[in-house]
Amino acid sequence: MAANMEFVRVNELNGLRGFSNLLHKENRAWWGTRQWWINALLWTGMLGGLTGLMVFVMPSLAAASGDPEVAAMGGEIAFGMELGRTVFFQMSCLALAIGMVVLFQDAFLSEKHAGVTEWILSKPVQRRSYVLAKLAAALFDLPLLLIVLPSLIAYLLLSLRGGTPYPLLPFLGGVGIVSIHTLFYLTLTLMLGTIFNSRGPILGITLGFLLGGSVLGGLVKPLLYITPWMLSKVVPMVVGEQPYPVDLLWVPLATSLLWSMIFVIVAMAKFEKTEF
Amino acid sequence: MTQTGDYVIETRDLSKSFGEVQALRRVDLKVPQHSIFGFLGPNGAGKTTLMKTLLGLSLPTSGSGRIFGYDIVNESVAIRERIGYLPQQPRFIEYMTARENLEFAAKFFFSGPQVKIRERCDEMLELVGLADKAERPTKGFSGGEKQRLGIALAQVNYPDLLILDEPASALDPLGRQSVLDVMARLRKHTTIFFSTHILDDVQRVSDTVAILNRGQLVASGPIEQILNGKDGVIYTLALKGRSDGLDKRFAELCWVTNTTVTQHNGTSIWQVSVSDESVAEATLLRHVLADQRVTVTEFSRKKYELEEVFMEIVKGDGDGR
Repeated sequence: MAANMEFVRVNELNGLRGFSNLLHKENRAWWGTRQWWINALLWTGMLGGLTGLMVFVMPSLAAASGDPEVAAMGGEIAFGMELGRTVFFQMSCLALAIGMVVLFQDAFLSEKHAGVTEWILSKPVQRRSYVLAKLAAALFDLPLLLIVLPSLIAYLLLSLRGGTPYPLLPFLGGVGIVSIHTLFYLTLTLMLGTIFNSRGPILGITLGFLLGGSVLGGLVKPLLYITPWMLSKVVPMVVGEQPYPVDLLWVPLATSLLWSMIFVIVAMAKFEKTEF
Repeated sequence: MTQTGDYVIETRDLSKSFGEVQALRRVDLKVPQHSIFGFLGPNGAGKTTLMKTLLGLSLPTSGSGRIFGYDIVNESVAIRERIGYLPQQPRFIEYMTARENLEFAAKFFFSGPQVKIRERCDEMLELVGLADKAERPTKGFSGGEKQRLGIALAQVNYPDLLILDEPASALDPLGRQSVLDVMARLRKHTTIFFSTHILDDVQRVSDTVAILNRGQLVASGPIEQILNGKDGVIYTLALKGRSDGLDKRFAELCWVTNTTVTQHNGTSIWQVSVSDESVAEATLLRHVLADQRVTVTEFSRKKYELEEVFMEIVKGDGDGR
């Protein structure tokens, strides 16, 4: 129609038509509503508070109760640092995986059930753009508040307790391991969101996999190499610059990344065939 | 792309099954350019399935379809570039205002200039009478307001084809009227393909009609042709006096295909089916008046209401499932 001549037509790569508009919408849903500050407060408060408790309060209580571990580790400060980083990184792995599943399990379902997906896909949009926009927004928005902010607080607390800046490289290594662990559960949730039409199976499979991992991994050892289950146990050793089983770090890291890519590919393939 | 002449939508043997249920059976549909095409059918007839298949939201089991000459399966994005769609229950991004929803929809088509996009959104809000509610979140909109905003959203790219699924069925009479008014205003610019089971709406705004029943296209054509009924053109004559000789007279006319006569309060009501409408219009009455024994008190061409035609076509088929 002639009146459209005055507009600049969307000129995106054919295979990713609609991506930037959908990404903008996803970011708007996160940053344009109260979601972001509620989550920022929740995760930072929970993980930072717990780390603060371990670093500053627990050592004094343990020393007062005559816990021999305090002296074995070289005093209250060293005990607090060990406790703080162990609890922070192990809890981060567990809590952030649960957080991702809870926050992301509805990403597809709510729009699918409300008819919004159908409406969006009636526009000139490639289906893979819809999936990738949700993933891209989740990869940027959620880790920023759920991983970066609490990690920053934990780093400050550990540095404050130690009296000198905590060694940056091992700490960043720990954050990287937590990020890959979280990515695995994020992409798993994304894939299940395209496969199932109700929350039950999504929550059941992801949380079952996360929580049942330690039991199953103990029974079938090879599973520890092809799942992220071992990462939460190895991460405090990496951050504490202690000896760790190399093969139980790098192999699960590589397989977790590989699984994440497979989950994204399956999600796109499934969504491509979904009928509305 | 291959251009397919004067038809915007063209399907051939289009079928769609959901397991054992056959929702569409070999549908051959042709929607002419610049028409308001009323797509009728009882609940569950397959109207929404056909629309979703045309839009690429659902894949056909067999057969093919083209819109603007583009294949509905392989060139769906190019088709949706030129289409506006209103789902049966319009949905929006609830945390966005009416204007934000419109801007979001517009940005699937246009990347700028921002001023022009905003102007287009204002124009659409004006068109559907929602200018005063532009900054309200859509969460609190009434059914009628949602429907009108849905039409604005479907129209934001000035589409060459508007596909509206039951645009007025959930509305009160005033809401329905306002939606039909909007459709009438848009007919100058675009082809409108809309489904409904409200026959009155179709008769008021459509120029072309198709009837779908149990997934099968059972009638299709200009509304005048559909309203003629499947028995073709019939003239009704009310006669007083002795009309018994007319049978023989009609039998001599090769374009008269059938006659029936009933008596009503001393008046003979003749129904004369004809094969040549123009000859019948010019000469039928003269042939009758040539008989001095009869007086013609009424002469008209039999007109069906769409409801009669619809009921006749789908009768005996239950609810169409």
